[in-house]
Amino acid sequence: MNLIGISINHRSSPIEIRESVHLNRNEIVEFIPSLKEVFSDGVVISTCNRTEIFGLPSIYSISTNSIIESLQKYKPVAELKPEHFSKYFSCGAVKHLFNVASGIDSLVIGDSQILGQVKEAFEISDDMNFAGPVFHRLFDTAIKVGKRTIKETGIGEGAVTISYAAVQVVEKIFAGLEKKSALVIGAGETGELAALHLKDKGIGKIFIANRTTERAKSLAEKVIGEIVPFQSLKEHLHNFDIIISATSADNFIIVHSDILNAMKKRKGAPIVLMDIAIPRDIDPDVRKVDNVFYNDMDSLKIIVDQNLQKRRNEIPNVENIIMEEMIGFFGWYNTLEVVPTIKTLRNFFDQIRSDELDKLKNKVSEEDFCKIEDMTRRLIGRLLHNPTVKLRELAEAGNNIQKVTTNSIILKELFNLDLSQNDGDAIEKE
Amino acid sequence: MIPTLELINILLPFLYLLTFSAYAFDFYNEKRFLANSKRIFLFTTLIVHIFYLLIRTIEFDHTPITNKFEIFSILAFSISFSYFVLELLTDVRGTGSFIILFSLMFQIVSSLFIEHNYVVPEVLRNRLLGIHVISALLGYSGITISAVYGLLFLLLYKNLRANKFGLIFNRLPSLEILEKLSFYSLMIGFVLLTAAIVIGIVWLPSAFPDFSYGDPKLIGTAFVWIIYGAGIISKIAANWYGRKVIFFSLAGFVFAVVSLILTSTFANTFHSFY
Repeated sequence: MNLIGISINHRSSPIEIRESVHLNRNEIVEFIPSLKEVFSDGVVISTCNRTEIFGLPSIYSISTNSIIESLQKYKPVAELKPEHFSKYFSCGAVKHLFNVASGIDSLVIGDSQILGQVKEAFEISDDMNFAGPVFHRLFDTAIKVGKRTIKETGIGEGAVTISYAAVQVVEKIFAGLEKKSALVIGAGETGELAALHLKDKGIGKIFIANRTTERAKSLAEKVIGEIVPFQSLKEHLHNFDIIISATSADNFIIVHSDILNAMKKRKGAPIVLMDIAIPRDIDPDVRKVDNVFYNDMDSLKIIVDQNLQKRRNEIPNVENIIMEEMIGFFGWYNTLEVVPTIKTLRNFFDQIRSDELDKLKNKVSEEDFCKIEDMTRRLIGRLLHNPTVKLRELAEAGNNIQKVTTNSIILKELFNLDLSQNDGDAIEKE
Repeated sequence: MIPTLELINILLPFLYLLTFSAYAFDFYNEKRFLANSKRIFLFTTLIVHIFYLLIRTIEFDHTPITNKFEIFSILAFSISFSYFVLELLTDVRGTGSFIILFSLMFQIVSSLFIEHNYVVPEVLRNRLLGIHVISALLGYSGITISAVYGLLFLLLYKNLRANKFGLIFNRLPSLEILEKLSFYSLMIGFVLLTAAIVIGIVWLPSAFPDFSYGDPKLIGTAFVWIIYGAGIISKIAANWYGRKVIFFSLAGFVFAVVSLILTSTFANTFHSFY
């Protein structure tokens, strides 16, 4: 298989380069015509952390450098060098694609978004008639690898971000979040992520507090929540079961006495405080108060690290799935080599049958001719059944390519077959 | 039927051990191979145990509550049975090993020392006694389960407060669920214990000429009942949460066990049949 893959990812290049090379949907659509000059089939996967180009060369003299050059030509990045790219060929390229689709090649191992991105990239190519039968099969298998990985392994389990880990701890304290109310202090990126996680988990009520009211309003709208005035924050603390703080304040915005007062008003009902800000927003002494559950970045990082390790432990299981699917894919791919031979052989026999039937056509009745036509069709079918099946089985097994080639050559020699007759539909068998 | 009884008597501790092992394995193992099948182990054990209790009742023509080791066997059964019902109702499956351990211990002691031929005093053949003892045993099962969940609550509470995110954090259900399970078991235990006490008050004076309300065992049981009652009131009326309510569950359990041991061993009580 002459599949080529080039990749710029978190292992091969710094984030600035990866960000500069990133192609959005429209850019991919614009870039594909230049790839069509060298590839018969191709797919471009581009996310904020990686850009991958896979293609089946239509010319034999193609080198990976020429693809890199065409990418640089389309999206010039001054610092981009050939060494920022990883290059893959044939079996290695297939394996790399499957690694990407399964999430084991992601910066955050087990990232589930990548599968959707692979799917979307293939759809773009398919829409632009840049994906033939081989790429259809290749990407169907890649997507299958991704789905099996999610279903059969624990690669995507457990929180691997601080804000999600905070929600995981909250779930160990409260049975359900439907009747709980949460306050998110800080409407920045981290605060927003935490608010979105809470919303996804079905939190009953969500409130946002931020120094800039507009930003608070904007986030509140996004998570269908309400806002709490930042200035009067401390008066409202007792109303919340969960408080997540992620501001950029230099000093504590919630101190020990604030929580003591809130707990008095709550009559001791538990409260969860998640301080995911640096420097911290909540005085860590609050953890001494009964029924107060306080976590900061350091403690939440323990969960994240544990979950990442668990995901790493799942990689061998994912690799087993990849190996199984690679065997299946190459089994199918190897049959492509023998399809033209089988097709020509069948055409050859059909042609003989047709010639002989023509000679008989005017010598027998119409009824007898139909019977002879049926009989010869069955005869040819039975004669060719065994060699066809054997040849396909040998090719699908994929472990004795030499034998497959020898058998094909013998057939061609014995029957004087001319393969050029079938060039156009060589891989239509599926 | 005696050979069958003897066979099941030997078999039961092994079945409880198997069930306990399945639950413990599932608790400690990440792969969760036995997440569903462990329930089948428990169900099978309970079926065999109920069969054992039935043939024992038929064979000896009395409820199997006439000696300590029959009581232990019923306790083993009722603890696991109560847990089984609780697991079916709540679908909380991660705590079985902590509770089935009690059944295993009771059944081992019972199987080791139980006798199949003995004379049963006439007073122990009374039907009211059967109801009294069985409701008391189910009540004690309830408070045992409540105490186990209480203990698990405290374990998880301490782990969460100390930011320890190990096995306890990963495997146990949330604090709120543990508290609920502990409280519901306590409620069921309390109701059944109350029933046992009421039946006892009605029946005991007529059955025992030396009956006395000052009997140490009765006083001990009354204290246990008061502790649990106070716990329930504090939760329902005063809306207490968490450790405060759990304290009543654990204190009641400890007091119940200590008072049972002390009154059975040292006190001179009419309420000692075995």
